[in-house]
Amino acid sequence: MMSLFWIVIRQLAEIEAMAASKKVITREEWEKKLNDVKIRKEDMNKLVMNFLVTEGYVDAAEKFQMESGTEPDIDLATITDRMAVKKAVQCGNVEDAIEKVNDLNPEILDTNPQLFFHLQQQRFIELIRNGKVEEALEFAQEELAPRGEENQSFLEELERTVALLAFEDVSNCPVGGLLDISQRLKTASEVNAAILTSQSREKDPKLPSLLKMLLWAQNQLDEKAVYPRINDLSTAMLEDPAV
Amino acid sequence: MPVRVEETSSSSSTSSSSSAPSQLSGENSSGHTSPPVCTLLTVGQAFSGTQNVSSLQKDEAWRVNVRIQGCDLDHGYLCGTMEALNVPMADTPVVTFWEGEIVDGKNYTFFTGKWEASSEDDTRHWTQFPSFQPFLEQVKVDGGKSLDLINYPYIFMRWKEQYFVNVGTDCGLTIAGFYYVCFSCTDGSINGFYYDPNSSPFQKLELKSTNEGRSGFSFSSYELQ
Amino acid sequence: MPTANTTIPIHGPVDLLTRLDSPDPETKLKALREIKNQIIGNRTKKLSFLKLGAVPAVASILSPYATEADSQLADSDVSTSNIIVQSAAVLGSFACGFDAGVRAVLDAGSFPHLIRLLFNPDEKVVDASARSLRMIYQSKLAPKYEFVQEKNMEFLISLINSECENVTGLGASIITHSCETSAEQRALCDAGVLKKLISLLEGSLSQKNATLESLAAVFKNNPEVISKFVGLENERAVEGSLSPRDSSLESLGTVLKNNPESVSKFVGPESGSALSSIIELTKDRYARTRLLACMCLIVIRNASPNYLQDVGIKAKLVYLLLELLDDPGQVGDEAPFVFSSLVAGKEDLQKLAFEDNAVNKFCNQLQKGQLHPKRLQGILLALADLCSKLEGCRLTFLSLKVLNQVIDALTHDCADVRTSACICLRSVTRSIKNLCAGYFMNEMLVISLIRLLDDPSVSAQVAALGAISNIVVDFTTRKSTFIQCGGIKQLVQLTKSMDSTVRFNALWALKNMMFLADDRCKEGIFLELTGSLLASLICDPEPCVQEQALALVRNLVDGCIKSIEYVFAEDGILLDAVGRQLHNVSDEVGIQGMYLLGNVASGNEFHKEAVMQQLLAQADNGAQSFVIKFLQSSDSRLRTAAVWVIVNLTFPSCPGAFGRLVQLKNAGIISQIRNMVNDSCLDVKLRVRTVITQSMTFGDGLA
Repeated sequence: MMSLFWIVIRQLAEIEAMAASKKVITREEWEKKLNDVKIRKEDMNKLVMNFLVTEGYVDAAEKFQMESGTEPDIDLATITDRMAVKKAVQCGNVEDAIEKVNDLNPEILDTNPQLFFHLQQQRFIELIRNGKVEEALEFAQEELAPRGEENQSFLEELERTVALLAFEDVSNCPVGGLLDISQRLKTASEVNAAILTSQSREKDPKLPSLLKMLLWAQNQLDEKAVYPRINDLSTAMLEDPAV
Repeated sequence: MPVRVEETSSSSSTSSSSSAPSQLSGENSSGHTSPPVCTLLTVGQAFSGTQNVSSLQKDEAWRVNVRIQGCDLDHGYLCGTMEALNVPMADTPVVTFWEGEIVDGKNYTFFTGKWEASSEDDTRHWTQFPSFQPFLEQVKVDGGKSLDLINYPYIFMRWKEQYFVNVGTDCGLTIAGFYYVCFSCTDGSINGFYYDPNSSPFQKLELKSTNEGRSGFSFSSYELQ
Repeated sequence: MPTANTTIPIHGPVDLLTRLDSPDPETKLKALREIKNQIIGNRTKKLSFLKLGAVPAVASILSPYATEADSQLADSDVSTSNIIVQSAAVLGSFACGFDAGVRAVLDAGSFPHLIRLLFNPDEKVVDASARSLRMIYQSKLAPKYEFVQEKNMEFLISLINSECENVTGLGASIITHSCETSAEQRALCDAGVLKKLISLLEGSLSQKNATLESLAAVFKNNPEVISKFVGLENERAVEGSLSPRDSSLESLGTVLKNNPESVSKFVGPESGSALSSIIELTKDRYARTRLLACMCLIVIRNASPNYLQDVGIKAKLVYLLLELLDDPGQVGDEAPFVFSSLVAGKEDLQKLAFEDNAVNKFCNQLQKGQLHPKRLQGILLALADLCSKLEGCRLTFLSLKVLNQVIDALTHDCADVRTSACICLRSVTRSIKNLCAGYFMNEMLVISLIRLLDDPSVSAQVAALGAISNIVVDFTTRKSTFIQCGGIKQLVQLTKSMDSTVRFNALWALKNMMFLADDRCKEGIFLELTGSLLASLICDPEPCVQEQALALVRNLVDGCIKSIEYVFAEDGILLDAVGRQLHNVSDEVGIQGMYLLGNVASGNEFHKEAVMQQLLAQADNGAQSFVIKFLQSSDSRLRTAAVWVIVNLTFPSCPGAFGRLVQLKNAGIISQIRNMVNDSCLDVKLRVRTVITQSMTFGDGLA
C-alpha cells in the first residue's frame, strides 16, 4: 500500500510535466513499479502495532509482539489503565473513571477544564438516568454551577444539561439526547484522547490516515492517468484499467 | 478647498499610461532624502490667502484658510482643514478635511500614480513652481527617488481633500481633485495648483503663514500617545 | 444497560480533615485520595479546603518522611510510599494554576520537603514530588532558584539529566522561572545546559514544552547565548532524516500540496544548526508545542537581529500564530500575547500580519463575545500592537464595527482587560483622520474612560489617560462632550497624584486638550488648575512632568493674544517658575520652555519685556544666559526653539525692538546667533537669517 502511494506521487510529478492527455498505465507496468519500491517489513509491522496500541487492543498487541517481534513503543500496562478508564465511562461509572485518571496522572484533569466539565456533566446525566433527581439537583448546584462561573464558555452547554431537571419524562424531552449512549461514548473518547496526549501519543492511529491519503492520491491521479486502481480498501485488489 | 461642480468638463484628460504608483515601501534603503523639519509646517500652524477659481465666464477668487492638524513625517503624512470663505452657493464658510503626501523619496515620489494624474500631468504641474526646475531631469528618470531633498528649502506635497466637515455632499461642490503644493520653509508661504480633469485647469492657491494678530510667531503642539 | 453505582461515600471536607489525623494508615490514605479526587480540576473545592487548613494538614503528613534518614526510607512499606505519593499529589494539585494554593504550600514549608523527596529511592515518590514541584514552579510565587551557586548548578544539571520525565520537566521549569539576568543565562550556557535542552526537545510532549519555555528564558535579550546555541551541532537533524517515521509521513501531504522546494527552503538555511530543531517544532502536532516553538523563535529574533530575518519565516510565524488563535483552550488564550511579542514595534511585521487579515481575525474573535478574560486581554493587546503604526489597520478595525465591544471591555470585571481595552483604544485613536472627524467623542466611550480615572488599578488609570490624551485632540468643537462629563476636574485631580506616571499622563491629556482650544475651554481648565498648581508642576522633581507642564502652558498662551495674560496671573508666578526652572534642565524640558517663552514673546511690548527679564535675569549677575547654552545645544530642536524666541523679541515694527536688540547684543546672544548662519539644520539656519535680517533694519551699528 505504501509503495502504491509512492508510485502515485512519482507518477503525479511525471505527468504534471506532460501534456493534458491521460496516460495509460498497464497492470504490468504498474506492478513492476510496485515491486521496485522496497518497504521494510518492520515498518509495516510498526504501523500495525501503532494501530493496536492506539485503539487499545492489549491482547492483540501482546500476541502480535510475540509473533512479529515488534516492540510496542509504550508500556502495555498503561494501555490497560487507559482502557479501564474508558470502560468506566462507557458503563456510566464516572466517579470511578475520574479516580483512575487522577491516579494515572493528576495533571490531566487539573489542566483540562473542558474535559473535567464534560466528566462532571456525564456524572449528572447518570444521576438523572438513575432517577436520583434530588442528588442530581444538589450535584448541579455544588459541582456544575461553579464550572460555569469559572468558564463562561461552558454556560450554554451547562444550561442545556441542567434542563434535564425540568422534565418529568427525560427520555422524551428536547434535551433527551444527552441520555443517549452516544453521549457516554463521546465523553469516553474525550478522556481517552486526553490520556493519550498526556503520554505524548497521537490520539488517532496512523493507518486510517494513510488510507485516506491513498484515496486522495488516487483521486489526484485519476485526472491525469488511467491505471490499476484499488477500489475496495478491504481487499486492496488492483483493478484493471478500463482501456 | 471645494470647487463648483461644473456642468461641462472643461478639458478631458486623454493622457497616456499612468505612471508608476507613488506609494513606496517604507523600508526604502536609499533613505537619506527626508525633507527638513520646518517649524512653520507643524501642527497648529495656520495659513490664509486665496484660490483663483476663474473660469471663462468671470474672474473669481475665494478666500481660503488652512490649518495643519496632523503630521507624521515617518510616513510622509500631513493633514489639516481648509476653509473657503466666500463661496457663492454656501451660506457659511465651507470646511473640508484634507490629507497630504509629502514628496520625500521614501514614502512618496513626484509621480502621483493615482487620482487620474498621469506622469505628464505631474510634470506639467510641478514645473509651474520655479523651485522645482533643478529636479526636472532627475524626476523624469525615477520620480525623484534618488534626490537629496534634506537641505532644500522647499517642500513638495500633494493635498487631497477627503470629506466635508460642515456641509453635506449635496452642496453642489466637489472635492474630486487634488492640489500640487509647494511650501517655502523660509517664510512659510504656500503655492499650489488644483488639479481635477473635470475642472478649470491650473486654479492657483496662494497662502501665507498668519500671525493671528501677534507680533511674532506662536507655536502650539499636541502629541498622540 | 449498566448503571452507575456509587460505592465510595462522599465525605464533607471537615470530616475528611479529621480522618487525615487518623493513626490508621488505611484511613489516612483513603482520606488523602478523596481530597485529591475532590480538588483536582475544581477551583471552588480547592478554595474551600484551603480555608479549612487542608494544606498544612497534608504538609505535616509529608514532613516526617522527608526528614527521615534515607536508609530508613529505603525499606519503608508500600502503604508509606502510597501516603507520600498521595500527599505530594494533593499538594501539587493545590498548587496547580492556583496562586493561593501555591502560597499555602510554600507557607506550610513543604517546598524543601518535596525537594528532599527527589532523592528518595522509590521512583513513584520521586515522580510525584517532582510533579508537585513542577506545579509550584509554574507560578510566579515560586522561590527563585539560585543556580549560579556551584552546588545548586550541579543539582539542576542532575535534574535535567534524569531519566524521569517529571524530574527533567522540573529542571526545565526551574530554568524558566529562575533564569533572569544575562549572567544567569551565561552560567547555564557555560554549564552545558543548552546541549541537554536540545536533546530534551525530542522527549515527551511535556518535556518538549517545558524545554521550549526554558530555552526562551535562557535566550531572552541575550544574543551571545543565542549565537552559541545556533552554533551547536544538531545530531538529531541528521538522524531524524534517516528514519522514515511519523513526522515525514505526516508532512507528506504538505510537501505535495506546495512544491517540495518551498519546504526545503524553509528548513534549508538553518538546517543542521540547533535552530532547526525549534523550527521543526513549529510543525508539531500539538498546538501548545507549536505555540511555544513560535515563542522561542520570536525571543531569538527579538534578541538577535542576525537570525530569522527571512521574510518566509516571518510570514510563517504570523500565519501560525493566527491559526493558533482558533484553539478553544489555553493555547488560543496565549496565542495573542505571543503574536504581540512578534509584531510590537515592528512595522514590517505589522504589515505582513495586516496582509494576512490579522485585524479581521482578531476582530472576529471579539465579536464572538463571552471570551475568557485572558483571551480578551490578549486580543485587545494584539489589536493595539497591530494598530500602533499602520493607518490601514486602524481603518480596517474601525470598519469592522467592534468599537462597542472594546467600549464594553472598559467596564470588564478584570483590571487587565480594562487596561488592555484602553491600550487598544490608544492605538486606534492615533487615526488623525478619524480624530478630526470627531469620531471618538462618543458619549459612551468618553464616560467609560472618565470612570476609569477612578480605577483602583493604577495601570488601568494610566492606560485610560493614554486613550484620553488622544481623543481630546479633537479639532471640532466637541471637546465639550468631555468637559460636560466632568473630565477636566478628574484630570486636574490626577495631576496631584503621588505617582509621577499618573501626574505625567494627566498633564499630557490636559496639554492635548489645550491644543487650539477655544477661550472658554482654556479658562475652564485654568480655573481648575490654578497658576500656583501649574507653577509647582513646572518645578516638579520629575523632568517628564516639568516637560508636560511647560507644553501645557505653551498651548495655553497660544491662539488669542489675550490668553498670554494667564502667565501673569498671581503676580506672574508661572513666568517666574519657567525662568527659574530653565537654568538647569534637560533638552526636552528646554524645548518646551523656549516655545513657551517664544509664544509669550509674540505678544505685545509688555509681554516681550517680561520675557527679556527672564532671559537676562542671570546675565545681570555676570553669568551666561541659559539662552546661549540652548543655542549651543547639540539638539537642533532646542536650537530652533531658542532662535524663535529671539526672532519674536526682535520682531520689526515694534517700538521696543531696537532696545531689546541692544540688550541681547550686550548679553552676547546676538554674536552667538551670528555664529550660526551656516547651522547644519536648515530650520535653524533659516531662523538665524530672519534674526539677522530683522537686526539689519536698525542699521549697521550692531554688527
